Amino acid sequence: MGKKSLNKPTSSQRTTAKKDYNSFKVVLFYCLLIIILPVITFFTVKNAICDSLLNMNPISSNISSAMCAVIALHVALGIYIYRAYFAAEDSADDQADVDKKQD
Amino acid sequence: MTDANPIYSPFFGVMGAASAIIFSALGAAYGTAKSGTVMAGIIAIYGLVIAVLIAGAVDEPSKYPLYKGFIHLGAGLAVGFSGLAAGFAIGIVGDAGVRGTAQQPRLFVGMILILIFAEVLGLYGLIVAIYLYTK
Repeated sequence: MGKKSLNKPTSSQRTTAKKDYNSFKVVLFYCLLIIILPVITFFTVKNAICDSLLNMNPISSNISSAMCAVIALHVALGIYIYRAYFAAEDSADDQADVDKKQD
Repeated sequence: MTDANPIYSPFFGVMGAASAIIFSALGAAYGTAKSGTVMAGIIAIYGLVIAVLIAGAVDEPSKYPLYKGFIHLGAGLAVGFSGLAAGFAIGIVGDAGVRGTAQQPRLFVGMILILIFAEVLGLYGLIVAIYLYTK
């Protein structure tokens, strides 16, 4: 009997685990975005736009696709920081609400 | 083999590509290990971009003058050492900033600002490297 109740997660444990899982999902998504997006942008811009659409010479097509990749990288990073800042603010508000209720 | 196209001219280009990725990865590794922020990983991508550009341009000695080798070595060293410096800065600032933010969440904005200032140093190296590469 006692063992069974020990193994059962309490509701607060379950909400913490769910919160952890959700924040892990967000962090994983943005990390993958930051790693993969510049690579995809570089090759897409180079092959689809610079080489076939605009017929640029190799050096300028390389340069413009590298710049596009770096810009895409910074946009992704900016979105991540924005999200982290406002999500942290929201969760701090939630925490403050919880603290108030406990008082 | 002429004086302008010696057998060893690709050596400088290859060394440029290698130093671009080696030094920026060194800086990014230090920054990530010390601070654990995602900003340090960006530095390695700058090095990767320049290393890929240089590696694409290196050719056999008859089509690759010594001048190009020097230019590519300079580009690689520019992005590599700026990345190393930026990675060290991000590591030290991020370490202090993450500890501080745990105590006082209001420090988050300040930490991000200082991390961006450190990050921009690597971006300057990337700009100089791209400018050199187009010569």
